Amino acid sequence: MKQNRPTMYRSAVLFVAACVFALAGHLRPAQADPKAGTAFVPSTVLPQEPAADKLDIRIPLLDKSVRFAVIGDSGTGDRAQYEVAQRMEAYRQATKFDFVIMLGDNIYGSHSPRDFVKKFEQPYKPLLDAGVKFYASLGNHDDPDNEPLYKPFNMGGERYYSFRKGEVGFFALDSNYMDPRQLSWLDQNLKNSQGTWKVCFFHHPLYNDGRHHGTDSDLRAQVLPLFQRYGVNAVFSGHEHVYERIKPEKNIYYFVLGNSGKLMTHDFGEFRERVKGFDSDQSFMLVEIAGDKLYFQTIGRNGETIDSGELPRIHQ
Amino acid sequence: MGRKACRKWMSLGLFSILLVPGAIAQKGDAAGEFHDRIDNYLSAKKKQDIAKKPTDSPGKLAQEKQQTAEKTQAARPEAQRGDIFTPAVTDYFKKQIEGTLRGPNGDKVRASLRHAEPLPNVQLQVNAKYPSNLPLQSTPPTLLMNLPPLPKKLQYRIVGSALVLYDMSSGLIVDFIPGAVPAP
Repeated sequence: MKQNRPTMYRSAVLFVAACVFALAGHLRPAQADPKAGTAFVPSTVLPQEPAADKLDIRIPLLDKSVRFAVIGDSGTGDRAQYEVAQRMEAYRQATKFDFVIMLGDNIYGSHSPRDFVKKFEQPYKPLLDAGVKFYASLGNHDDPDNEPLYKPFNMGGERYYSFRKGEVGFFALDSNYMDPRQLSWLDQNLKNSQGTWKVCFFHHPLYNDGRHHGTDSDLRAQVLPLFQRYGVNAVFSGHEHVYERIKPEKNIYYFVLGNSGKLMTHDFGEFRERVKGFDSDQSFMLVEIAGDKLYFQTIGRNGETIDSGELPRIHQ
Repeated sequence: MGRKACRKWMSLGLFSILLVPGAIAQKGDAAGEFHDRIDNYLSAKKKQDIAKKPTDSPGKLAQEKQQTAEKTQAARPEAQRGDIFTPAVTDYFKKQIEGTLRGPNGDKVRASLRHAEPLPNVQLQVNAKYPSNLPLQSTPPTLLMNLPPLPKKLQYRIVGSALVLYDMSSGLIVDFIPGAVPAP
């Protein structure tokens, strides 16, 4: 059958519009039914990940290494968080990391049971099902009472805590409320740590040049002397919704990763201490520590490697 | 130095010796009064408290927090501003905050407050819940060093220019001092 040109154009436009509409409906997380209690099942269907052997893996996957992922400012419940989570699962299958550290703002907005499902349990379900443990620190959007008691965050009911993996001592701090009691705890625990590596993670960055928040220099004035005294090697923070790697300051490596859910584009100012910055999409990190080396890879939501490298432990 | 001048300096010294412990005692009184009131608050609350334990269920956590809030509110039906921060205690806290801001880390404290998440206009009310969907601004560590220590479940929070005494286990505002943080 012959069609005239305007009709053909109209049909084509209608067809494209229908496709876009169908796709948008398909990708939008389902609205929670308020009567359905805590059950929230997003209908998000995300693009297929490439096969594990096609992933760009830049950490060495050494025997007996400590391997983990890092996310910060993740708990939005938005599509971007789900996509980063899906990318993480693809990399978990390939790299076998078995825990994740969370740099705060784990649950944005309200903290109803449904929020915990939508903003944590659902996006990271494949990881949780695979036995990956999440270790949370508290951000300014988190509930300082309920979240430490939420078992999947592995905080043991405390706002700040430490744990050990192989030769690495991890210290999760509450940078929202660094009171003398916490400083004294940090002093004691860093002093007693037998780990070859000491890694601290918390929400507010000690160094960064983001325009939205910037550096917390008062926090830095209190914790940095302890980090230096007891030989902390690496610090991971969030809060600023970007990825940033800072030049080592006083023998400590600093990473800012606050874009695993939230994103603040065009956020960077002039900062000579920045080695690498990324503020155009969401991301997460893979980290591997073996012997005297820390290997890292920062991966964007679309699978692109944003930053990677190998850092020696700087003896203090 | 003549006898007169010598006598003048001696009396000045004596005056200072008498004055300084008085000033310390005054501060001590305000801090002591504050702690007494905190103890009273906690002992009233203790009768209503729920022993919370880590759980997999966010529903249970929300329910326990809600129950704690309701019981705490019921235990203080007449609660009002000034119950904890009495005029003397308020005066003491304002001086401590002002002293911190004028101190060697004052600029850093100010910067830390400035960089915090912008908040909409929060209407503070004693014995009411701090809105759970709003972020809690971090409290600068240097400021915390200069304020009386608190039991584990209570925190000082800055909201705008107010100093808020926040009860974490119930999410309630125990008391607050409006305008506690002076404008730069």
